Amino acid sequence: MILSVRDLRVSFRTEDGLVRVLDGVSFDLDAGEILGVVGESGSGKTMSLLAIMGLITDPNAVIEGSIRYKGQEIVGLSARRMQRLRGNEIAMIFQDPMTALTPVYTIGWQIAEQIRTHNRISHAAALDRVEELLAEVNFPNPREALTRYPHQLSGGMRQRAVIAMALSCDPVLLVADEPTTALDVTVQAGILDLVRKLRDTHQSAVMFVTHDMGVVSELADRVVVMYAGRIVERGSRQDVFSEPLHPYTRALLGSIPPLTGAKPHRLPAIPGSPPSLLRLPKGCAFGPRCPVRFELCDEKPPLVGGSHAAACFRVSAA
Amino acid sequence: MKKHSPDASAPILETRELCKRFTIGTRFSAEGRRTVHAVEDVSLKVWRGETVGLVGESGCGKSTLARCLVRLYDITSGQLLFEGDDITGRSLAELRPLRSHLQMVFQDPSASLNPRRRVGDLIAEPLRVHTRLSGGAIRKRVAELLDLVGLLPDHAGRYPHEFSGGQRQRVGIARAIALEPDLVVLDEPVSALDVSVQAQIVNLLADLQEKLKLTYIFIAHDLSIVRQVSTRIAVMYLGSIVEEGPAEAVFSAPAHPYTQALISAVPLTDSTAESRGKRIILAGDVPSPLNPPSGCRFHPRCPIAQDRCRSERPGLVEHGSGRKVACHFPVA
Repeated sequence: MILSVRDLRVSFRTEDGLVRVLDGVSFDLDAGEILGVVGESGSGKTMSLLAIMGLITDPNAVIEGSIRYKGQEIVGLSARRMQRLRGNEIAMIFQDPMTALTPVYTIGWQIAEQIRTHNRISHAAALDRVEELLAEVNFPNPREALTRYPHQLSGGMRQRAVIAMALSCDPVLLVADEPTTALDVTVQAGILDLVRKLRDTHQSAVMFVTHDMGVVSELADRVVVMYAGRIVERGSRQDVFSEPLHPYTRALLGSIPPLTGAKPHRLPAIPGSPPSLLRLPKGCAFGPRCPVRFELCDEKPPLVGGSHAAACFRVSAA
Repeated sequence: MKKHSPDASAPILETRELCKRFTIGTRFSAEGRRTVHAVEDVSLKVWRGETVGLVGESGCGKSTLARCLVRLYDITSGQLLFEGDDITGRSLAELRPLRSHLQMVFQDPSASLNPRRRVGDLIAEPLRVHTRLSGGAIRKRVAELLDLVGLLPDHAGRYPHEFSGGQRQRVGIARAIALEPDLVVLDEPVSALDVSVQAQIVNLLADLQEKLKLTYIFIAHDLSIVRQVSTRIAVMYLGSIVEEGPAEAVFSAPAHPYTQALISAVPLTDSTAESRGKRIILAGDVPSPLNPPSGCRFHPRCPIAQDRCRSERPGLVEHGSGRKVACHFPVA
């Protein structure tokens, strides 16, 4: 097991009291596996990823629970020891490649610096390695790209450069935060292909965060669906997409218009909007929008089930 | 002031070889003054009652075209006709009476609504500018409009920040339909919204279209949503329309290699994902409109490009019933 997250809870102390943004999140990730984490804005998907990377530095944040990386506890790890893991064994791909790269240095310099932080090699040797990496992420002319600045590259190429940087130390665990959201679909298709190829060649474990159900269904082996800071459904891609259990997953999949076949006259829409974490409804957070709500839903439903689990009393009662 | 005289047989909106160019840089900048060809030779007819979907990737000129259509941008060359009337060169004052027929909904409702004004005032503004209704009549109309877009009458006293994204977009829509326009240009009306809220807004737009007999120009990059709402589709690439036709025909049998690649690149959630055709992955990115490729703008990324494509630019020509394609070697 590469990554094992148990009962992760993240809260922030604010003027309006303690706001819980993650509430009891648990999942596992194995080598060579792609875990897709889907959810809307505010569902806690990015927060779980930041917790794993040890990047929640806000002094008002309260992090509880356990995150074990190869058996080692990461929660509460010193900044120095975390830094040794980060970028070396655990790498991250950000949503916006323009802000993830420094505008004042060349692509070659930036990636070489990252390599030299974790390995004792010469700058020239590091540059040779960068060239290999850029070739691996399908840069048409890697030698020339070394001397390019981020603004001279297109969005897709920038994201490839960020991926090359993430791969520079052969990461055991790769976490990606909406890496294709800022890109066009035709470019996205290429990047998804690349992530799949990397998993195959490097046997990295990949945690892929996105709001796009389509992307998850194309890429992930296993899926975690989040809503208002909790996992509402967890299972293999097959399970979640062909037999969704939770009413939220079902409604969300149903509300996406089809690209082929008959067009519905009206889309089956979900009423209301995602709740504010400051004013979470009592019991199940999806309750007020749920078509099958009943008395039991005034309590928080636990995540129950084996490999395919859902946090819904309707499912556990059935 | 020219009076607007509708011509029933004419399309509600028509563009003839419409071009929009921007000049960037000064003569002192490193590259000198350069021209961006944002929209090039777009000829499009929009008929009453239909929804024309305008799709393409970022930078293809779809939003620029939208802004030209409502004359938020001045048109560089070509013509823009509203109900047969040439409005290309109309001054702002001459355009004013037309504004009530031609409205726009913007992408980001938090940016397009003034945060310091109440929602009721925001919706009343077009009524105050364009009608001579009394204060009481305006209040009544605002309450009607709020109801029409699925909000409550007492929401009129609230500020935009008190609403969720979906509700804010409803306010944006209420403003656009306040004057009972004939044509509404929707520029990515759902892309800033949460996935679970998008379907509500798509349904609302469909209901309003039916009730108010609206004509829509719907701009989006999300192909499944465009397919859901549109009767006709125009696909843009690097400033020009490369394919146009009935929505169903374009989606089931795309004729331009770019349309094919675009449709095949959409990640699907349904189980038929395996059964659909092979994904076409395009090489490279959309080229810069500052320095567009020679010949067919798509040839550097086209999987079936030939010598002719590199030198000769294909025009948008008739291809089967009601369809047009700009390609020397159309697929279907």
